[in-house]
Amino acid sequence: MALFSSRREGVPHLPLHVLLLGFTLFTLYPILWVVSLAFSGRQSLALSTLPESPTAMDRLRAVIPWPETWSLSNFTSVLTDQPFARWVLNSVIISTGTTVVGVFVACTAAYAFSRFKFPGQRAGLMAFLVSQMFPGTLMLIPLYIILVQWLGLGSSRLGLIIVYATTSIPFSVWMLKGYFDTIPKDLEEAALMEGASVSRIFWSIILPLAKPALSVTALFSFMTAWNEFILAATFMDQEAMYTAPVGLRFFVGGFSQQWGYFAAGAILVSVPVVVLFLFLQKYLVSGLTAGSVKG
Amino acid sequence: MSTNAPQQPAGDLGGPGPGVASGQSGDVLLTGANGGPASSLRRGRVLGGLALTLGLSLFLANGLLARAREERAVERAQRRAGVALLSLADVVQRAGGTGDGVRAAVKDWPLPAGASVRVIAFNGIRLEASTFPEDTGDKAAPRRLSRDEKPLYDRGQRLRAAVETNREEGGARKPEVESEARPSGGRLLSAPVEVDGTVVGAVEVATPPVPPVGRGGLAEALAAFLVPLGVCGGAGFLVRRQRVLAGVAAVLFVAGLGGYAVHSMRTLADELRGTQEAVGAELRERTTRAQALLAAHGLRTEPPLTPAAWDADSLRHPLGLLTDAGQPVEAMLATRVAQVRDEASRALGLLGVLGLALLLYVGLGGLHRTAATLKEHRQAYAYILPALVGMLLLVFFPFGYGIALSFTDANLYNTHQPLSELWVGLRNYVEILGDFQIARRAADGSLVFNYLNFYYTLFFTVVWTVTNVAIGVTVGLVLALALNVPNLRLRPVYRVVLILPWAMPNYITALIWKGMFHQQFGVVNQVIRMFGGQGVSWFDSPTTSFLTALATNGWLSFPFMMVVSLGALQSIPAEIYEAARVDGANRWQQFTAITLPALRPALVPAVILSVVWTFNMFNIIFLVTGGDPGNSTEILVTQAFKFAFQRYRYGYAAAYATIIFGILLLYSLVQNRVSRATEAA
Amino acid sequence: MTTVRTLVAALCLCALGLLPLPSFAATELVLWHAYRAEEKAALEKVVAEYNAANAAKGIKVTTLAVPYDAYADKISATVPRGKGPDLFIFAQDRLGGWIESGNTVEPIDFYLDDATKKRFIPSTMEAMTYRGTTYGLPLNYKVITLIYNKKLVPVPPKTTGELVKLAKTLTDKKAGRFGLAYAYSDFYYHAALMNGFGGGVFGANVTPTLNSAQNVKSLELMMKWLEKDGIVPTEPSTALITALFNEGKAAMVFSGPWFLGEVAKGVDYGLARLPILDEAGGKPMSPWMTVEGVYVAAPSKNKEAAYDFARFLTEASSAKTLALEGRQSPSNQAVYSDAKVAADPQLKAMREQVEVAVPMPNVPEMSMVWSPATSAMNAIVKKASTPKAAMDVAQKAVAKDVANLRKK
Repeated sequence: MALFSSRREGVPHLPLHVLLLGFTLFTLYPILWVVSLAFSGRQSLALSTLPESPTAMDRLRAVIPWPETWSLSNFTSVLTDQPFARWVLNSVIISTGTTVVGVFVACTAAYAFSRFKFPGQRAGLMAFLVSQMFPGTLMLIPLYIILVQWLGLGSSRLGLIIVYATTSIPFSVWMLKGYFDTIPKDLEEAALMEGASVSRIFWSIILPLAKPALSVTALFSFMTAWNEFILAATFMDQEAMYTAPVGLRFFVGGFSQQWGYFAAGAILVSVPVVVLFLFLQKYLVSGLTAGSVKG
Repeated sequence: MSTNAPQQPAGDLGGPGPGVASGQSGDVLLTGANGGPASSLRRGRVLGGLALTLGLSLFLANGLLARAREERAVERAQRRAGVALLSLADVVQRAGGTGDGVRAAVKDWPLPAGASVRVIAFNGIRLEASTFPEDTGDKAAPRRLSRDEKPLYDRGQRLRAAVETNREEGGARKPEVESEARPSGGRLLSAPVEVDGTVVGAVEVATPPVPPVGRGGLAEALAAFLVPLGVCGGAGFLVRRQRVLAGVAAVLFVAGLGGYAVHSMRTLADELRGTQEAVGAELRERTTRAQALLAAHGLRTEPPLTPAAWDADSLRHPLGLLTDAGQPVEAMLATRVAQVRDEASRALGLLGVLGLALLLYVGLGGLHRTAATLKEHRQAYAYILPALVGMLLLVFFPFGYGIALSFTDANLYNTHQPLSELWVGLRNYVEILGDFQIARRAADGSLVFNYLNFYYTLFFTVVWTVTNVAIGVTVGLVLALALNVPNLRLRPVYRVVLILPWAMPNYITALIWKGMFHQQFGVVNQVIRMFGGQGVSWFDSPTTSFLTALATNGWLSFPFMMVVSLGALQSIPAEIYEAARVDGANRWQQFTAITLPALRPALVPAVILSVVWTFNMFNIIFLVTGGDPGNSTEILVTQAFKFAFQRYRYGYAAAYATIIFGILLLYSLVQNRVSRATEAA
Repeated sequence: MTTVRTLVAALCLCALGLLPLPSFAATELVLWHAYRAEEKAALEKVVAEYNAANAAKGIKVTTLAVPYDAYADKISATVPRGKGPDLFIFAQDRLGGWIESGNTVEPIDFYLDDATKKRFIPSTMEAMTYRGTTYGLPLNYKVITLIYNKKLVPVPPKTTGELVKLAKTLTDKKAGRFGLAYAYSDFYYHAALMNGFGGGVFGANVTPTLNSAQNVKSLELMMKWLEKDGIVPTEPSTALITALFNEGKAAMVFSGPWFLGEVAKGVDYGLARLPILDEAGGKPMSPWMTVEGVYVAAPSKNKEAAYDFARFLTEASSAKTLALEGRQSPSNQAVYSDAKVAADPQLKAMREQVEVAVPMPNVPEMSMVWSPATSAMNAIVKKASTPKAAMDVAQKAVAKDVANLRKK
């Protein structure tokens, strides 16, 4: 924390650990139930049952997310029942595509909003914000008409990438614009003096400095595409084109529900996100110093 | 702060280099000079503007007129065919719907060249009688319908269902006469055959193609174009001031378009009268024929024929434009003419307003300035363009559709009608916003909220949004600050664990949370009971139900805020803190003076967007509380969803969505004014 | 002339099966469903049989499974725009809505001959009918029945009088034992009582009749079981019911086939018809049934071929596969005389129960009922309101929604 960042004074780490540990437990508790459900080999979402007059031990057992028996059957079923690996691969392709397209397009727009002064600037920035305001639940059919009927992008990964990227752009533009604003302009002026072009400045000075914000927006774009279900299920007309969230939903809904499979699948689809975060976090915390800007 | 930074460098980066003439300087030049090239340029602009807009408007007006005349021609054909259809249906009904009487009536039914009729009986799925050219030889009626004639039977059944539905509901929502275009260009009209109150079949009339209506009115349009243009050209030499000249052009534009409008309406009124006469003649002829047929075949003559009822709309409601004797009803005709005239003048009025705006825009130099601006800032626009195109296509088009829908009465029953026919103006909005029955006193004096009321839901939505964003931002920020402490052990582990709620599909975690609040088995109640308390029925009162959704959403949303804050914290150089410490600032002072302001550029957008997202957070409410108890924990968007998909009132739901949109827009405008987030650095 | 001759020759060769059929002659039919696991496998097996039998005609059926949560939306978005399948399988509850919105479901009366019509259990056919027109062939149905623990209940009760008497002896609230457990506060489950009393949700002309005298009587009986007889647990959540039954603490349960998958391995259970209502003059409890039909999509280009496949899917031989391997209860009547099917206690019980079951209304107005009815049920069970008062409130809400939809 910047506030406590003095190397000489130092911050008492113990209270911080207490705080963070507390939140970690709070965060983990529901997830541990998902894990316990996934490894229990059972399917019922009812977390635990109790005898009619339970003892304190019974109650304690009921609040601890620990399956009665451990089994990998849910995981093996999820992986073998359906072409799950294929669906995860589709998700990876679509989410990566969304991230690349979304972040790139947002970067250029945000740079213009941050560095240029032009008529329609405020309105343009507002327009991006406004796009988030109409309730998305009512937009399924209009989106279908545009994408599938007009553009003929039904059952294609490109169609989904376009929709997801468009969904994530507004946040990315605002986030990046805010971050670009904090990057001092001295550097660009100096480069301009030396005859560098605007695009050169953008690519070789601004973008490297904006890595923390780029990681945030990349993660956001990725997540937008990664967990989306209803559009993917509606636009894709072949089983081989489904994404992981669509595949997961097969287990629940309707009359019978296999929550154990769903939990196992949910854990599996969370892994790539964690991996991505692990990859991005070195940029997220690579502190920016005034020295590096000046240098 | 960045917002106070001088604008100069930005201008240098974006603007073209010196020496390139910009639009602004050009204008200064123009207004400064008198006469010479600048003056003729101005005159040219006004004249060009007039030529462009008047030409365009007249072209469109001419097109509109042509379309209106074609509509009238189709209407004429339709009404005549309708009379032929319903009169035949009347005779067929009197003949009992099936049998020789029907065939005799069809055979003797006079028809213009190219027209044919047929009668279908449901019993046995039969073609009872037909004069269609293809139904001859071994396909001659009567016979069973062949496989490829399924649409005929289905159409008849549709008419039967329509008649029954309208009768049952005491309404008139389904067409009892269907009309569709034939591939050959004519139309096919179908009407049900009712015998003793049940629909036993259908009668169909196919009409030959309507002869095309010439475009016509071109000479008048040309006159309305050239005369004002000539006058304006002349005035250009007399009038020097651009504003006055533009005013003159505007007057001429109105005169030109207005003159043409008068001509158009006269044409249309004439068409209407012509139609009236043609249909009247048709009606008289049909009456004679029908009476002859009834007499010749000994069909029922009671109740007596009411020919006026044959001239009816698609619901078989008589239009009332003709009497039983086929004579026009002048009063009704006058209303009809006025109606057509109103429609035409509304369309032309709109055209006029748009044209006038365009004229003034071009004439006063707006177009020129816009082009110059676009050129000057082309780099900035080029950078924004890709993002904007996506937005326009995928977001703003559906928006426009949604907003248009909100002014209509669209619902499940009328999805195939065009929106313009369902227009109800502000009715949905009045219904939503004008309902102030937020609460009432119960018998015991306690206050009972009307949970379906808009204002209650709005209040709940605002509480929901404020609490959620406050929790998300506070927790996210505190954790980010804690995780930003250098040399803190286990930092990477904490970081990864703390984003897990974001990484995992919230469909399952939200339901796990719901399960944790289960009255009997939920762990929350287990813990309460372990300490000797009583379990709470979480979903039985609005407050506790709200708390469950709040806990779930708080848990789901803080990782996002934490990641955003972490990213933003990286923009603060450590040296600033050093300097502050040297100046003797304590930690709190450093936090308020350095950290918070530095976080602002990233946090303000994140907060604004969080508010917008939380306001419309459909999933969590839907999955966790489902609105329980009794719709008390619905937010506006879940309410809109229920109006659309449970009550099938699409227009009403769209109005709800538009109001949500309006509220959020208002909020973001105010927030922006306060935080100046939209300005360039 | 030579071209004609070649063509004739080719046609002959095709007919003899020597030449593969040219691709333009092939008809591909697409079928959508929301099945997985054994239901999906059984369906695919039937489809494969059809494809094998019709390969010579060049007809091939392919299937696409869609997750249930997105299924209805997907059909509403795709089918009216001509981008959907040729056939789809769905329960009857959305049928009315799709018919009203148009260009989604093809009417099939024109194709439907008497022999085919007679193939089905009549009430399942009724579920496929909207405003006098048939829109689909019924594939299977789901109903709730009496499920009992054979250890505790040697002979299932035939009447509610017997049921209450037996349940009282099996109830020991202190030990957490109950004679009967079912989700009585859930309107869907309560419908068995409501219909038994001759009540219902809609009267003629789709006017709501939630507060009818029969409905109120059925609710009073439910409250008697809960309060006076005390034979059911106070918090009737499905999780509790499953847990109680599995632990042998609930002797009898009213539930459907979906419940059987959750019964623990050691529990020896039996199925029987829901009891006769002594309180309604000996009329049987009549649960709602949901019927899954196979529909021809209105914009399909191969409607006749699609209908032919729908007929195949509902034939006795296909029904047998779907019943024994897919664990469905087919609407086809003949299949129940098959030895293997007749020997299956679950299928047998469902077949008996469906005789007195009522198809859940397929009118679009039905979706307006659930929320007010659920609120009313909760208020009644929590004793916040009398049955009559609660149903009056629900009636008013539904009547208002229906009127709002119909007003001009």
